[in-house]
Order: sequence, then structure tokens, then C-alpha cells
Amino acid sequence: MILTEESVKAIKEKVKLYPQRKSAILPALTIAYRQVGHLSDEIYQEISRATRIPYVEIAEAATFYTMFPKAPRGKYLIQVCHNISCALLGADSLIGYLEEKLGIKKGETTPDNLFTLISVECLGSCATAPMMQINNDFYENLTRAKVDEILEELKAKA
Amino acid sequence: MKEIFKALGNVVIKMPQGFYVTFKHLFKKPVTLDYPRKKKPMAPRYRGKHYLERYDDGTERCVCCGLCAAACPADAIYMEPEETEKGERKARVYEINLLRCIFCGFCEEACPEEAIFLGQEYEFSADDRNKFIWTKEDMLVPHPRKDNPFKKILRRVRKVYGTPEATR
Amino acid sequence: MATETKKDTRTAQQAPTVTLTIDGQEVTVPKGTTVLEAALGMGIHVPTFCWHPKLKSVGACRMCYVEIEKMPKLAVSCATEAMDGMVVHTDSDLVKRGRKAVIEFILANHPLDCPTCDKGGECDLQDLTFKHGFDDSRYDFLKMRFTEGAVHTTFDDVRIGPEIILNRNRCILCYKCVRANKEAFGEYDLGAFERGNITEINAAPGREVSNPFSGNLVEICPVGALTNTDWRYKIRVWLTKQARSICPFTSSGTNTLLWKEDHQQKIFRCTSRRNDDIDDGWIADVTRYGWSYVMAEDRLQTPLVKKEGKQVPVSWEEAIDLVARRLTEIDDTKGNVCIGGLINPQLDNESLHAFNKFMRVTIGANNVDHRLDYPMLPAQGDTAYSILSSQPFSIADIDTSDVIVSFGSDMLKEHPNEYLRMRKAYMFRQAKVFTINPYAVKNADIASVDVVYAPGTDEIVVNAICLAAIEEKLVDAGRAAGLKDKIVPNSAAEAAETAGVELDDIKIIARSLADGKQVTFLVGELVARCAEREPIAAAIANLNRLFGLTDKGQVARLARYANSKGAEKLGLTPFPAPEVKAKLERIFGGWPENEALTTDKMLVQMNKEAINAGLVVGANPLLLYPDREFARECLERLDFLVVCDSFETETTAIADVVLPLASWAEYAGDYVNLEGRTQHAEAAIKPRFHSRPALEIIEQLARAMDKPLFESADERRREVAEVLAAQAVLPWPNDYFEVSFDNAAADSEYTIPVFVGDDPHHAGHLTEKSPSLSNFVSEAYVEMSIELAAKLDVKAGDSVRVESEAGKVIVPVKVSDYLDTDAVFLPRNFSSAQVNSLLMRKKRVNRVKITRVAD
Repeated sequence: MILTEESVKAIKEKVKLYPQRKSAILPALTIAYRQVGHLSDEIYQEISRATRIPYVEIAEAATFYTMFPKAPRGKYLIQVCHNISCALLGADSLIGYLEEKLGIKKGETTPDNLFTLISVECLGSCATAPMMQINNDFYENLTRAKVDEILEELKAKA
Repeated sequence: MKEIFKALGNVVIKMPQGFYVTFKHLFKKPVTLDYPRKKKPMAPRYRGKHYLERYDDGTERCVCCGLCAAACPADAIYMEPEETEKGERKARVYEINLLRCIFCGFCEEACPEEAIFLGQEYEFSADDRNKFIWTKEDMLVPHPRKDNPFKKILRRVRKVYGTPEATR
Repeated sequence: MATETKKDTRTAQQAPTVTLTIDGQEVTVPKGTTVLEAALGMGIHVPTFCWHPKLKSVGACRMCYVEIEKMPKLAVSCATEAMDGMVVHTDSDLVKRGRKAVIEFILANHPLDCPTCDKGGECDLQDLTFKHGFDDSRYDFLKMRFTEGAVHTTFDDVRIGPEIILNRNRCILCYKCVRANKEAFGEYDLGAFERGNITEINAAPGREVSNPFSGNLVEICPVGALTNTDWRYKIRVWLTKQARSICPFTSSGTNTLLWKEDHQQKIFRCTSRRNDDIDDGWIADVTRYGWSYVMAEDRLQTPLVKKEGKQVPVSWEEAIDLVARRLTEIDDTKGNVCIGGLINPQLDNESLHAFNKFMRVTIGANNVDHRLDYPMLPAQGDTAYSILSSQPFSIADIDTSDVIVSFGSDMLKEHPNEYLRMRKAYMFRQAKVFTINPYAVKNADIASVDVVYAPGTDEIVVNAICLAAIEEKLVDAGRAAGLKDKIVPNSAAEAAETAGVELDDIKIIARSLADGKQVTFLVGELVARCAEREPIAAAIANLNRLFGLTDKGQVARLARYANSKGAEKLGLTPFPAPEVKAKLERIFGGWPENEALTTDKMLVQMNKEAINAGLVVGANPLLLYPDREFARECLERLDFLVVCDSFETETTAIADVVLPLASWAEYAGDYVNLEGRTQHAEAAIKPRFHSRPALEIIEQLARAMDKPLFESADERRREVAEVLAAQAVLPWPNDYFEVSFDNAAADSEYTIPVFVGDDPHHAGHLTEKSPSLSNFVSEAYVEMSIELAAKLDVKAGDSVRVESEAGKVIVPVKVSDYLDTDAVFLPRNFSSAQVNSLLMRKKRVNRVKITRVAD
């Protein structure tokens, strides 16, 4: 069992909230995601067992939503915006720099499980482009030096 | 006496006249060929014996789609597909019955993979009817081979027979 | 007739209609009809990809665009409800341009690999592109490809099930397969994952698509995204011809097409031939893939005769002569009653009738039966069970029923087609479904109440429903008068306790039966195969009388095999229905005088050496008779055993003469489905090797005995038609049956109740030889609940020894989540495991013990 008993209980509570069983899929996935940090086939199976919703429907919903990670991620999730404003102000080279600095490709995790680098669509902070989001915090008006600084700080914290 | 002179005249005048034509041709280039030692080069679009082409790496181009057999007006083509190890489609049996084939070249036109071509070869007499059924082994070009006469038409850019606007 | 009047009243009080104009023609349709359905009903062609007549509309493909006046844009006709005064154009310039654009969008990422695609030639996308699309492509970018890095190849075949290959590049995302899987079959092993341009249809992660209806997904795929293994790279569709055939494995007689090639004399596949009265266009996998046993190379090729203890191939003449000589000899020396005949009810009408005539006229014995796998059959013809079995039944009426009860029936395994109908009634008409079984079944997920009673208490459950209805005063007191005294126990609560079920559930069922406007009550094989089926049938007859079910619906035991109903109607039983018997007597010019013997009785007589010769046509009693040791002992005692079959089986191994039998696809014949509907199956190919149809064998045998059966084929057909026309439905009695019950205590050592039946992918003894079906399941298993597996400390795949008093088998474990009692299930279709050796014919509930086999 990956899910804790608490999570399973919370998921079962959610099922009761809706007139249709299926409506509980997203809340259930969210609960599982909050607990584990990512989703996987085993987790779908456990949710299916707890909610009695067919396994495949849970897998369908989970894969539809790209913000549910399907593989373990590092402690810090670096999401670099690659949409137009940021791209004009050098998001591509910034991603390249991060790749070089962390020694990984976009979409990968560092071997020490600290950083995961992905690029995302607009995060709504075009005025301060280029920008990135690490976990729940925005880092704006980025330069290479600034990125160095942020990474050092996070490494020190971890 | 008169007859004798007439005959003599024939020998002296008519014979050389006749032989003149013969001897004249002795020094001309002959019209016939020294077949089968020598062969006449065929026209580039001559439709002779079929070939099955290969890709550059030696795999067969034919995927056994059956379009040549469908296009064949003489029903001369028979094929059975099979699955390769990779799971792709290829011909297990590919036979053309020469006795039925009318060398119309529809198979060549129908082929979506540019696998079958009608070549230049026209000698296929045999002493057994069974030998008139060509199998895939008979028709596949050797690999590797030195020159490919069809190279220039392989992977040609297909011409568009009308723009979308024209069909509206 | 009752159903017809019901339908009439329904039309009379129908919902309001709407009138609209499509392409200048006015049409009136019931409210709720879509524009597409209205147009198709008028014969107007509207192209579609994602629409399917038996599924709900989604509007995924946008191909069915029509122009509706006063609507700003083109409307998707499959998702637009017809309204009063609508003016629809299906052929305007705007519509044509719309369709062209849709086709172009669909083709944007669709590979042009038609030459290698098996769908080529029958592909909806090909056809509609040809008809509605552009002549040329404007698209010269790289297409989206699922296989990483393979931008220049379209090859992306993945096997997602034993028989299904998926090519995601070709998929146009119409979701037809996913919808059919969920809506029509109730299976959840296929889904649509991811989104945007990387959306893919695929099997659920870590699973495979192996449900018993998976073949239909391939058939409804409009492109070549899902293809079949058995059709893969075999032949182009335009080279094949089709024979209109009938399913020989299920009793519904689903209509099929056998795709064949005449020069090669080969069958290539089997697809459905939609017949809304029977199958809705869905066929079970056993129907779709079962044909491949016909093309198996290990079929019996020539007649075999036992010489000096070894079976050697001989010519047909020699074999027929020998059989005729020996049968005449036994007839002369020991009397005609010493010959017994068993026939498989999967054969066609004329073969069955010829066999009947051969046994009852040529031989002159009353020993003929088609029920080979039922133990302890009744020794008279008018018992409650016979009445229940003879009742009329209509598949289409399941659709309109509002209450459906399946009793003692593992529907999915025995009657897949009727199960789909039940499901349809539940999905589309919100019918109430109840399942009442001695073990939990997979189809119970649609049941509002799923009753699982203790094995061996079948009649008590039925009595409990009756008692609950009386106690709750759900039925008219006059009707109920006299019932309570005739049945045990005295109260519903007591009955529920005996059967180990919830009283509340029983009450709900009783209330639904009483309130239901149209009720379908189905009785299945678990009752039919029960050694003590009479009290159960009597209890059901009581229930029927109490609730008046026949007046407002149907109560029927479903026939099991393709022509079981036909065999019954043709009088292939020891005790045919009176009218059938009268007809046969007239045709035969008399009736044999000896005591009529059922299968069991015949076997008993064989054991006593009172029957010395046996004639078994197309059947394998050693594999299917629910007491292997007994059957073996009896058959081995015969002086002379003739077996006709397509394959070497356990039964042919002990036979003196083995005759190769042609399969159903090799000759034309009529079959009677469980509704009593006679359907014709065309021959697809000529009999392979030297096999012959049963009819031919029997006729030759009769001729060799100097007693030809029929003067002409016409006479034969006339006789069959005459017998089939006779009324075979027995009337319900006018009183309640007496139902007693004594609860047999379970053995101390053997505690686990065992049920033996067909695997969902197999039926009878022939499907084992079908390579396609073997891809699904190829060996016997013991299916048990998660709890029982935990209790026995075994995992799925472990070998266990299943032991009963009678015998033992070693089989792997299969753990199923829908089972929730101790009962285990074993499939009987595999000759590798002699599952029927666990059973004893006189036992009502067979019990086993299960131990793990040490590695």
C-alpha cells in the first residue's frame, strides 16, 4: 500500500460528497498526489479499490491532467515559462543554462533528487519576464547570475 | 542458235546484274542481329519481364498490398502476405503467371511502394508450363547490385493532378 | 402474441413527435430523435465516423455536419436533436466544404499506409475520403508519430490484447471502441489517455484487452487502428467472399459472416451480421474467433477403425460397412434396444432429425438424447423442469423489460448475447436487474440487488421471494391461496436464513416482481445442470404463478447450445412434447416400444451391459459429462462404440470406429436458436480432408443397413419443417407445485463448493482447438475470491491440487475480485485438465478441498 490509511479514508469521504461516483476521481487524485508527490499505476489501483471506480477511468483522468506528475520528482520543481514574453527575453537560453548547470535535460531530475526541470506555458507574470516558478514561489526578472544565486540558496536549504 | 545467244546473254549480263545486289550488301552494315549472341537494346519504356525492387539496405519494397493484383486485367498475379519478425508486412508468395500476363504495366502503375517494374528482358521461353509461373525469387533483383536502371524514377516526386481549388 | 399487443399499446401512447424538413422532404419522427437518425431513416446518406447506432452520440469526429437554417454554423447532426420546423440541408455547398475540411483535419496526422493496413478496402476513412475529401493533400509537414524518433515510418503496432493489435498513428480518436467497451459491454480495460495531439487509445496501464467481447472493438473501428490477429496480413478484403452463417457456439444464434476465399478453400475471419432481433451487431469472442478450429491442421482426416487394439485409417466405404455390419449384428443377436445414441445439439436440424429417424426407425430403439452434460435427467416428459424449458422466450423483449431477473445463470459465460441485452436495458432504459446465483458472477455489477445464496438452497431462495410477497401482501390473496402450505419453510425470514441471504434483498426483489410492468425471468445452466433440478423448477413455476409473470413478460430456461432448442423441438429427447411426438409417430410410422432412456439411463444401462453399442455424434461425453469416471466406465464397457467428431478426443480414443465429422462451416444447415427461430447457415468451404457432415454419415449408414432414411432431400426438408411446426410449449399447470427441501450437510473434509462450466472464451469441447481462443485462455484454472486465496495462502498463478471425493486435478489459481464467497469455478473446456472428474452425477453440490502443490 502506497496510500496511507488516512488518505484512503479521506478519499472514501470524498466519494460520499457527490451524487455520481465518478466525480470523486479528481479530489481522490489530488489527495493521493498531496501525500505521495506523484501518481502511478499502483496508486490508480488503490484509488480504484477505495472508490470502486474502474481503474481505467482513474488512469484516463490522471493522464489527461498534465499537472499531476506521473513519475517521482525532485524536491524542487523548476518550471520555466517558455511562452512568448519570456521567450523574447531569453527563456530558451535560460533553459539551456539551467540544463547545463544542473547537468540534466528538460523533463529530468538530478541524481540527488533535488531538482526537476520542466518548461511550462505562461504563468501570468509576463511583466517580469523571463521568470520561473520553483514549487510554489515565483522567481522573476531572471538573469544567469540570479539563477546561480537561487540554486545555491536552495541547495544550501536542502 | 538464237536461244543459245539469249542464254549466253543472260549469263553474261543478268547474272552479274543479280549478283551486284548481293555483293553490294556484302559491304553494307547488316539489318539483322546476330541473335542470340547479340541483343537489340530495347526502348526505355519497353515492358518486359517484371522486377521486384529492393530498398538500398536490401529489404524488399513489396509489402504485398495486393493493388497490382487488383489492377491486373488478366488476373495474372497471386500473392500471400506474411508478418516479418518486426511485425511488418511482406510477401510470402508472389507469383506472376506469364502465360496470362499481357504486359500492360498496370501493376507498375498501381504499385504504391514502387516495388514492381516491367524491365527490358523479353526472353522467357520454356519447355514446361510450370516454368511460366514466376515466383518472388525469380523476380527480386539481386542485392547488392551495381547499377539500378530505375534509380532515377524511384522516389520521384508525384505530380499533382489538380489543385484543391480546381476540384471545388 | 401477448408481447405484440403490448408493443401496440406502447406505440399508441407514444411520446410526441416532431416534424422537420430534410433536403426538401418533410419527415415526422419521435421527439428525441437526432437529425442524423432522422436523415438516415429517410435513406439520406450522412457520413459518420464516431456514430454507432447502438451507442450514445458524442460528436467526436464532426463528420456528420449538416446545415440547419437559422443556425449560425454547421451543426453536428448526431448530437443535434430534431425539432419542429427545422429545415436541414445535408448536401449544400457549405456542408460539402465542411466535410472536406473535417476529412483534411483527420488526415493531417493519419498515416497513408493503406497498402500495409489490414483495414484497406473496407476502411470508412478511405471510403469517405474518396467520396467527400480533397483529391490531394496540402499537408507537407511531418506527421505526429507515437513511436519516438520514427518520423519517417508509420509502423507503430502494439499488441494490447491476445487478439488485438493497436496502431496509435492510425487512430482518429472517434472513441467508438472506448464507448462500446464501457456502454455496451461494461468492460473497463480500454481507455483514452493523455490529451491534445498525443491523446491515445490504449489498454489500461499494465492490463490487456481480453474481455469476452473485445473482438467487436476491432469490428467497429472506422480505421485500421485496431486490427485482429487472425486477420492480420492474411488476405485483402476484396479477394474474399462472405458466407452468411450462424454462431455454432452460443444458443442465441447470432448472425455472422464467414469471410472465405474459394480457391484456397480457407476461412479468414468471422464478423457480425447485425440482426436487431437477436444480436444488435455485437458478437461474443467465442463466436468471432471460434471458427478457427475449422482450419486446424490436427483435425481427423480419415475414418479410423480399431484393429488389434490400434486405430488405423481406413476408407469411408470400409468404415461405413463395418459400422452397418456390427450394428445389424448386435441388433440381431441382442436386440435393437441394445444400441444407444447420443448427439451433440450443435448440429443442424436435418442431421438431428436424420439421427432421430435412424435411431427410432432404422435401429428401432428409443435411446436417443442430446443432453450430454446434464446429470440425472427426469424420467418423464411433463415435469416442472420440462415445462420451464419449453417456455417461449424472446431476446428483443429483454430490451423493453423493466425488471430483469437472472436466476442461477452465469450469463456472461453461458449467454453472452442475452447478457448484453440485459446490460442495454439497464443502460438505456434504467431497467432493474437482479441476479440470484449460488456464487457471485461478473455480470452482477449492473444488478440493483445481487443475491448470492448458499449452494444447494436454490429452491429456498425462490420460495423466500414467494413468501416475502405473501407476507408483505404484494400479491392478490386469492392468487396466493394454497401456496404457503405447499412450500417450505414457513416464513420468508426463515427461508432467507436457510439460504444465507438478506431478507431485505428478497423483499426488494419480491416488490419489483410484483410492481414490474414487463418482467423477464431467466433461468440458467446452474439450475439446468443441478442434479436436483426438479424442485427448483417447481419453485420457479410457483413463483411464476404467484406473480403472474408469464402474463406480463417471460419466464424461461435458456437453451445452452446452438441447436438445443431445435433438438428439443425435433424430439431428440426420450420424451418429446406430446404434439411433437404425435407428428414424429406419424412420420416414423410408429414409435419404438422400449423404455425411453435419457443420457444417464443409457450410461447406467451400458454399465449393466444392457446396452452394447453406442453411437456418439459430434460430442465428447468424457470431457463434458459431469462425472468423468462413471462415463468412462460405462463407455468402456460397450462392445462397439462409434464416435463421429472433428478432432481426436478422449471419447474417440476409446472408440472402435471414429468417423471424421465436418464442422458447421463446411455444410449448409438450419439452426433453431433459443427463441425457436429457425435460421440458415451457408456453407463457407467444402468439408476439409475427408470429413463428412453428420447428415451424410447417418444417411449412408442407413443405406448400408438397407433401410434408407429419406426418399429425397425434399422429403427430408418437409419432415423437418413439419416437426418444427408442432407446438412444443408445454402449458403451466393450474396449481402450485409441492416443494420440499432437506438440507444436506456439507462433508467435513471437502468444504469448498465447486462449479464447473464454460470459460467466457470457450464453449463445448471444440473451441479448445481454436488457436485464437487459446490465445485468451488455453488451460484450465480454478477461479476463487481474494479472501479464499488469502485463506488458502495461494497467489494467482500458483498450482493447486483440487480434490473431491471423485477425483483430483492440478490447476493454476486465478483470483477474481468479483467473487466474494468460498465457491470456486473451474472451466470444463480443456482436455488437459479433467475437470469433470471432480464431479459426481448424483451430488447436488460438489465440494472440494484445495491444497497448494509444493514447487
